[in-house]
Amino acid sequence: MPLPEISAPLAVSLGAIPGALSRYYLGLFLTRKLGSHFPFGTFAVNLSGSLLMGIVATAAIEHAIPAHLQLSIATGFLGSYTTFSTYALDTVNLWQSNKSAALFYSLGSIGFGLLGLGLGVMLVRRL
Amino acid sequence: MRAAVAISLGAIAGALSRYFVAIALQTWLGSGFPFGTLFVNLSGAFAMGWFSSLSIAVRSPEVRLLIATGFLGSYTTFSTYELDAANLLALRQWQAAALYWLGSAILGVVALLGGRLLAGKKSPD
Repeated sequence: MPLPEISAPLAVSLGAIPGALSRYYLGLFLTRKLGSHFPFGTFAVNLSGSLLMGIVATAAIEHAIPAHLQLSIATGFLGSYTTFSTYALDTVNLWQSNKSAALFYSLGSIGFGLLGLGLGVMLVRRL
Repeated sequence: MRAAVAISLGAIAGALSRYFVAIALQTWLGSGFPFGTLFVNLSGAFAMGWFSSLSIAVRSPEVRLLIATGFLGSYTTFSTYELDAANLLALRQWQAAALYWLGSAILGVVALLGGRLLAGKKSPD
């Protein structure tokens, strides 16, 4: 079934809303489950979002996903689901209470995020 | 419900700003380096440092959800940042990849502290 043609801004917006809401509600859920001494929410969305980005970006190249669907999923959903500004804020806030946790969070986010993205790429290439 | 509406309104504006800033910077500076993502992430971290220090961000949960969680959360992106770094690595541009990957993380913190200073809040330690 061909998707209806929608404008690029609409495609981005339609992905951005569920992306930001998923980030918010997952953050609330993880804070309730695990506490707020570590930014589990941002950590989880950034790592899972990077893994999904590896999958989507590779699938887009190898399986020709329509351009507007790519905009909705990659630019809209995953772009909004993951966040860099909160990651920087978490790092600075954590530094004030626990310096080693802040270093782990800061470097762990970018390190595991890159590994997760690579894993996503490999998963799609294997299929 | 009010929380979901505030976040959604901020998210649409944030994601569209990111999208159009990326197009503008790519047109202006080319696509050899991810200037768009770098710019949104650093300017967004700066804005987050500034906004989170304002008293309105502390007093009003709805303004905080609209601006911080919705707008700035969606304006900046972590998944595209990692994808950009992986693409530079795939092109064997080791120096650019390392500079972009580590530089974004370090400058993000510097930008956030700069935003805090602008709001008149002392930087930690």
